[in-house]
Formats: sequence, C-alpha cells, structure tokens
Amino acid sequence: MKDRSSMGKLARVITWCVLCAGALAMLVPFYIMLTMALKSPDDLATSTYLQWPRHLEWGNFLTVLTNPNVSFPLFFRNTAFIAICVTTGVVLTSALVAFPFARLEFDGKSRLFTLLLSTMMLPGIVTMIPNYVLFRYLHWIDTYNPLIVPAFFGGGAYNIFLMRQFFFSIPKELDEAAMLDGASNAVTFWRVILPLAKPALATVGVFTFVGTWQDFMGPLIYINDPQKQTLEVGLRSYQSLAGSQFHLVMAASVMVTLPLIVLFFLTQRFFVKGIVMSGIK
Amino acid sequence: MRLLLAFVLVLAASIAAAEKVTLRLSTWEGDEGLRIQRKALAEFEAAHPNIKVKVEGNDFNVYFQKILTQVASGTAPDVSMMTFEHFQAFGKRRVLLPLDDLCAQTPGFNLSDYYPQIVQAHRYDGKLYVLPRDIAPHGLIFYNRKLFREAGIPYPKPTWTWDYKERPELKGEDFLSMVHALTKKDASGKTVQWGFASDPTFMAKTFAFSQGATLLDDYENPKRITYDSSVTQRSFDLVYDLVFNKHWMPSPSEMQSVMQTDAGELFRRGKIAMVQSGIWEVPNMRLGLVPGKPGFFDWDITIMPATADHHLQFTTGGSGYAILASTAHPKEAWELVKWMAGPKGMAGLAASGIAQPAIRRLATSEPWIPGPNTPEPMKWPPSRILTDTAVQYVVFPPTSEHWDDLESFLNNRISSIWSHEMTPKQALDLGTTEAQQRLDQINRIENLPPFPWPLGVGFGFAVLGALVLWIWLPSRGKPRTLRQTTINRSAYKFLAPWIIGFTVFTAGPMILSLLMSFTDWDMILPAKNRLFGNYLEAFTTDPRFWLSLRVTCTYTFIAVPIGLMTSLGLALLLNQPVKGIPIFRTCFYVPTVGSAVASALIWKRLLQPGTGLINSVIYGFDGKGNFLGLATLLKPFVPPGQTQVDWLGSERTALAGIIMMSLWGFANVIVLLAGLQGISQTYYEAALLDGANTPQRFRHVTLPLLTPAIFFSLVTGFIGSFQTFTQTFILTSGGPGNATQFYMLNLYNQAFNSLRMGYSSALAWILFFLILGFTVLQFKGSKWVHTEAG
Repeated sequence: MKDRSSMGKLARVITWCVLCAGALAMLVPFYIMLTMALKSPDDLATSTYLQWPRHLEWGNFLTVLTNPNVSFPLFFRNTAFIAICVTTGVVLTSALVAFPFARLEFDGKSRLFTLLLSTMMLPGIVTMIPNYVLFRYLHWIDTYNPLIVPAFFGGGAYNIFLMRQFFFSIPKELDEAAMLDGASNAVTFWRVILPLAKPALATVGVFTFVGTWQDFMGPLIYINDPQKQTLEVGLRSYQSLAGSQFHLVMAASVMVTLPLIVLFFLTQRFFVKGIVMSGIK
Repeated sequence: MRLLLAFVLVLAASIAAAEKVTLRLSTWEGDEGLRIQRKALAEFEAAHPNIKVKVEGNDFNVYFQKILTQVASGTAPDVSMMTFEHFQAFGKRRVLLPLDDLCAQTPGFNLSDYYPQIVQAHRYDGKLYVLPRDIAPHGLIFYNRKLFREAGIPYPKPTWTWDYKERPELKGEDFLSMVHALTKKDASGKTVQWGFASDPTFMAKTFAFSQGATLLDDYENPKRITYDSSVTQRSFDLVYDLVFNKHWMPSPSEMQSVMQTDAGELFRRGKIAMVQSGIWEVPNMRLGLVPGKPGFFDWDITIMPATADHHLQFTTGGSGYAILASTAHPKEAWELVKWMAGPKGMAGLAASGIAQPAIRRLATSEPWIPGPNTPEPMKWPPSRILTDTAVQYVVFPPTSEHWDDLESFLNNRISSIWSHEMTPKQALDLGTTEAQQRLDQINRIENLPPFPWPLGVGFGFAVLGALVLWIWLPSRGKPRTLRQTTINRSAYKFLAPWIIGFTVFTAGPMILSLLMSFTDWDMILPAKNRLFGNYLEAFTTDPRFWLSLRVTCTYTFIAVPIGLMTSLGLALLLNQPVKGIPIFRTCFYVPTVGSAVASALIWKRLLQPGTGLINSVIYGFDGKGNFLGLATLLKPFVPPGQTQVDWLGSERTALAGIIMMSLWGFANVIVLLAGLQGISQTYYEAALLDGANTPQRFRHVTLPLLTPAIFFSLVTGFIGSFQTFTQTFILTSGGPGNATQFYMLNLYNQAFNSLRMGYSSALAWILFFLILGFTVLQFKGSKWVHTEAG
C-alpha cells in the first residue's frame, strides 16, 4: 500500500478528473440516444444534440411499439426465448464437459484439451457457411434450431475453459470425501461441484445471455420469417422502414439496449469475475 | 342410392371448399405501400374464401438475397414480389414458375393489356416469369412553374433537347440554357438557387444511352464491359462540369452533408427549380405543397431532354409478382398474382398516386390521370399523362444474372466521381477494368466438371479417423487397469455432448467447408469442381480481395493498438486510490454490452458533419471553432467543396469514423485492472527497498507482471478485429467507394448475396490461416510476456 499512499493530492485530483472526463465521454452517446428518443420531430430539427427535450414525447415509444409491420413486443419475446434456451444449454453442458477436464485423469485428456483450446482460436466464419448447408439439409432454416441446438452440445470452448478454471479453485478434498462416501462421479458433480460453482454458472450464464441477445449475424442468416426475427435484426429492419424518422429509430434503439444495460447492472459482479477468470490463465 | 351418391358428392365438395389454402407472399413494401397492399389482399381474400394469404415483409436491401437463400434452403414462399433486375437469377435456376401457359389458359386474361416493354423485360429464355404490376420511368422532371415565370422563360416542353448546338432554332428552350437561367448565385459566387438536381449518375447514363451507349457487348451473355466508351465518358464529363465547375447542380454529398436533406425537400422549399425523379415522388409533393397553404407554388412534370435528333433513353423501375416453382398450390398462387397485378389489386396503388399501373388502360385513365372528379389537391401534376409518354423511352438493364454483381464494381468507383475524389475517366476506367476481371472469371467458371462428392466424403471420414487416432495414440501400450477403464467410461459420458457437438458442428463443417472451397456451388444447382480455382481467383483476379484485406488490416493495426493503449492507461488510473472505481469501471465497460445495431445507429448520427456531436466538438456549434487545432489538422481530410470532415460520407475518413466508433467502450480495462490488482505488494516493497522510484517501479515491476494480461487482450483483440462485420454492414455497406469494404463484408456478400458458397468458403479458409498465422506469430514473438517460471 506504500505505493498508493505516496501519491500526491494534486495527482489524485488530476487522475480523478481524467477518469471523470473519460467516463462522461462513454455515457454521452447513451444520453443522446435517450434524449433523441424523447424529442418530437420539430424539437429534433431545431435543437442541438446535448439539449434536453423541450417536452418529453413518451408517445414515441408507443408509436414504435404499435407499428403494424415491425412488432417489437414479438421480437422481444423471440429474443428472450432464444436467449433463455441457449443460456440453459450452455450453462448445463459446459459445466458437464468441464468436470472431467478438471477432475478426472482419463485417457486422451491432454490431447482433447488441446483440441478444445484450439477451437477457441477458430474464427466463427469458417464454420458459418458449412453449418448453413448442414442446417439446410436438416430443414432447420427459418427455425430457431440453428441458434439453440448447438448450445446444448458443450456450449463453446470458452465457457468450458472458464468452468474448468473455476472447478480448480474448489478444494479437491470435498469431492474426495464424497467419493469415500461411495458417491459416483455423477453424484459428486451434481451434489458437490455444481452447488459450489454457482458463481461460475452465473458468470457463464450472464455472458451467454448477453452474447445471444446481441447476436446479429446468426438470426440474420438463419431466420427469414419477419415474425420470428430477434430484436437486433428487427431494429435494423425498423431503421430501413422508418429511416428518416430518427426520433423513432432512437426510441426503438433505447428499447433494444435498455434490457441489456439493466441486466448488466444487476449482474455486474459476475461479469467482472468472468473477465478476470478468463484473463488470467 | 342415387341420393346417397349426391350426398357424398356434396359432402366432398363442401370439404374441399372448407379446406383453406394458405399462401405465403413475400413483399418488400413498407409503411404506406404495405398498408395499400394489405387492403388489396383483404379484398382478394374476401373474393376467394378458400385462400388465405400470409404476408412476409423484408426490407428491400436484403430482399432478394433472402428469397434466394429461402429457395436454397427449401423454405421459399409461394408468391414473391420481383423486379426485372433480379428475376434472372431465379429464372436461370428454374425456380420460378413460367406464366405463359397460365396466361393462355385463363379466360378473359389478356397479356397485351400490359405495356409490351415491361412484359418483354420479364422474359428469360423466352419464358415469362413475372407478371408486371407497375412501371416507374426514372426520367421525369418535376419543375417549379413560379421560378420559370420569374426567370422569364417558357415552361419546358416534353420534346426539349439537351442543348441547341445542332439546332440553333431551339435556343433558349433547351435544357442547358434553362438550367443556367434558373441558377442564382450570390455575390461570393455561392449558388443559392439550383437550376436542376438529379442523381448525377442517372443523368450521365441517360445522356449516354440517348446517344446510343451500351453497358455490355451482349446483354444476355456478356463478354465485354462497354461502360468506358467515349460516349459514356463524355456524358459523365458533362455532368461533372455542371456539378463541380458551373455549380448549376448540387452534388450528392453537398445535399446530404451540407444541406442535410434530399432534392425533393429542397424543391418544395423553392431552392431547386427542376428535380429529376420518378412518379413515386408525387405523394410527397402533394403533402408538402398544399393549394391555399403558405409555400404552395404551381408545379408540373415533364420528361428528360432528348438529344438534338430526338433520341432519348432512360432507365426505369418497376415490379411485379412471381410464383415460386416449389409452391404446392400453383392454381391459387396464380389467382393471387393475377389479382394483385390486375385492375383490382392495382386500384389502390393507382389512386394513391404511388405506382403507375403496368396495365396501359389503367395508366391512361382515372384515377391515375386526374379527371373532372379529381379533388383539388390531387390535380397536381397537371401533365400526368406524360407518364404514359415516358414509357416509350425506357431501357432495361442487361438480362445477364451477373449484371447486379458487375454493376456494383462500377458503382463503387463512380461514387468517387461525385465525392470529387476521381475524374470520370479514372473512375470509369478503373471500374470497367475491375468489372471486366470479374466477368472474365464468371465466364471461365461456366464449363466445369461436377464435384466428386463421394471422394470428398471419404476424405472427410479419413480426417476424422486420423483425429481419433491422434487423440488415442498417447494411451497406446498403457497397461489397462480396471480402475482406468471405469474412469474413462465415466469421463467420456461427461464429455459426450461436447464430442458430439465438436464432430457435428465444428469438425464436420470444417471438413465440409474445406471441400466446398474447391467447388463452385450455389446450393441449388449441382456443385462444380474448381480445384484450386477459388483460391487462385482470390489471389489473382478478385479485385475486392486485396482491397478488403487492406481495409481490414489497416483497421486492425490501428484500432487494436489504440484501444489497448487507452485501456492500459485507464486501468493504471483506476488502480490509483481514488473514489468511485466501480462506477468508472462500469462506465468504461457498459458500451460493450449494449446493442451493436443501436450503437451503430447512434454513431451514424454522432459522426455526421454539421450538427453531429464529433464535428460540433471540433468545429464548435457555429462551425467556426477549432478545438485543440483539430480543425486545422483535419483540413486535408475535408472533402472538396465542403467545410467540415464528413466522417462516414467520404472515402478519406470513413475508416477513421469506424475506428472512432470502436473506441466506445473498453472491455479490456477490466482484464488489465484485474492484472494490476493481482500483482503482489511484496514486489513493490522489494523494489522500494532497492531504492526504485515511481517510473522505475512501473518499468520493472508493473509492466512486466502485467504482460500476460496485455498479451491476452492483444491476441483476442486481433482475432475479433479481423472479423469486423456488424458495424460496416449497418453503417456503410462497404462504401463510400470501397473505403470500408471489410473482409467479412465481402465474404458475407459473396456467400449470401451471390450464393457463391464455394468461393466464400475459400475466403473463410484464407482468413482462418491468416488469423492462425498471425496468432502463432504473436505466440512465437511473446518473449516479452512474463511467465511465472521466468
């Protein structure tokens, strides 16, 4: 702590000011998005970006929500459905797959783990096109299967890796004790490891949920029926429909962004934990 | 007995009647157009109780690629809106139902009711694939009669000419002298009222077509691009002169960036005397110019001027309905198409004034043409009958299904003319060369042998077998104990989901992708064997490959280091004992959890010239400021003729705009901060004992111990950055020019726009090896990274 206390008061104030300016700069676009969403077209045309709306036009949100051609409530439901399914699949199976990598000495372990890690480096693009072909033969195009089903098969190398790291931090004595009591691996995993790994499960869950919510390319290529579309792709369609009515586009943007921001604030600590865990190998 | 039979028959008939057929109809219409369409559909359903129509709307920009991929994936709709520019791609693949027989078999249906030109434009290989709904000649000019009277010149006649050089008797009534007479400049030479506004490319093309210029040597099976002919170049030169030397016409960037509006709006405000557009502009004009209301003026339409010998040709829009060959209900689909493109389905559109019916009878009578019963505001424009005259001048684009693809190369270069970055000759030569390269490539692919799939599948299984062998090898010869067998069995049960998932969704597709990269395949027609042709094409003849690679690398090598340095700086600041660290940490991270599409939309606004936030900071709200001298510094990047940087609108700065956007949010701050906080205090104490000062401690303790976190951020940052897609897909679509033609965008377009699955697979593999090579290189050169052992 000596290093910290040696800092002068002036330096501290300067640091604080720089941080404040930076943080403010990060928030300004959000502020503009929100205020534009609440301005009337006239207000939008005559005011500058930083001005607070002369009159709060909550009706903008209603206009967007009641558009007969682009149904945001429907998109919301679709997106939530996909995100919940994917999150369930990822959390369950990534923990399952991570368990033997963290606890069991089986044949082929090191090379399988190398394989797992190498898929982390694999850009999604190499499998995107052949997967499209595969799903076409399965008649899965224009269904949610291409977006959901793969999540139930391991949930991605990154998440498996994260889980494994966390399992390492659980004292081995606990599962050895369970083993002595005659518990099988499955029971140990279910009764001992999983309950202790709740923070990791939450971290993986939150990451996956947000990632799925934000996914643009997946729904863009797999979903054709506008009724089945997600918020992100729906927002883009809405933008091309209502392009010049910018207050409405921004109102829609706010509605798409808000759930993510709220979720982030509620689950911040899991985010930080997840990033920290993956960053320190 | 007979009674029973009759009963059964009646029963069968009523069952058949009760059985409703649902047709899926794809449309690109939005808002007003869709409202009218839905109304027509409701009437159709009322008239056909056994048919229900489900509308599927898609935005026009992605419309045709969606339908094409739907066809490829077996989920095509029954009926689809179609244009003569796009149906060839479908016709060639035989996925549309030819309509000739249906037309002939329908009593009372007469194809000759339709304008013959537009019917002809919807034929491919002699077969009619689309029933036209409307036609929209582009060559109409809306003119402000008040300004003509003020300037003391006669109204333009529909038979006017470009200039009077060959015909002196036309002097004063020709296009150029009228435009001149209607342009007003202030004392400083700045134009305050423009004589004419038009899409300059359209105008140049009209002038060129009217003089007999062509786009291709053969519109159906082209061998040569003829876009760079001397006639075309002269036409572009003429328009270039009007825009940049005479200032009689505003350039597109002047309109978008400086005045922030479109030509129609400026026309309604009386700032432009004549504006070229199509008839779809009429409802906007009627909304903006209401008789009796302030700001109203008398206006009318005329037709684009002809050459001195009265030749005139211009392009047109238009659309129709097509039936997908995969439909299970061709009869019902034909009923729907016939209705929607017929008098009943067109009634609403004609009355609204949006779309000129393709049936000539409707296009020459009320309500399309104003009559005695037409309400006052709907009377404008008085010379509406000219829309019928205009049809005789329309030309249609090449029928080659590759024209769309070829034209995009040309258009990307031509946009550089109007942003004043290239002369017409440079742009046309370059665009033609690139399009020609692409065309040569297409013609080479046409005759190739089929791809040997069994061989490929065999190869795939061999690879998977080799992988299993490689995993098993280390355990060979190990004594097999019962205990080990139990553990193995248990472990592999846990691993099963991942092993299946890896095989089905990763390894299998990768092998398939590798195989596909040797084919030419659109997922509809059988795959052809190209061997290494795709890779060769990428490296040698695809003009976009190196370009997109350069754009992507430039972006990556600027955005990633800047982002990392900033994150590092922020993390160091956050590691100081100041109040509110968690709040700051949140602020720096939160932009990355928001919606990517919403971020792109807001940044589009922030980066706008004039009122955009970034420029308001640099130039001040009054446009005269010079924040930190940035305005001076950025001077070389200001587009010609403008006073401010047009971030996303100019080739010089578009990439910089996207880089700026990437600096919104620093996810790495958290990684680096955690790294900093993980450094044990004992190191600092030891350094302090050795008498190290603050910079020395940073240099010899903090930095080395932070290197693993930096390295991690660097590697993941580069991998992600090479795959940048969403921002440019939404913000710029690769433009202006080719300034933001990212690798992934090109790949996506090749795969899902052109359905070139083979070529895009090859592109994916090239990118994969590029990323892999670069990552390995980073690991090889990672001596600077501090490891626990070292």
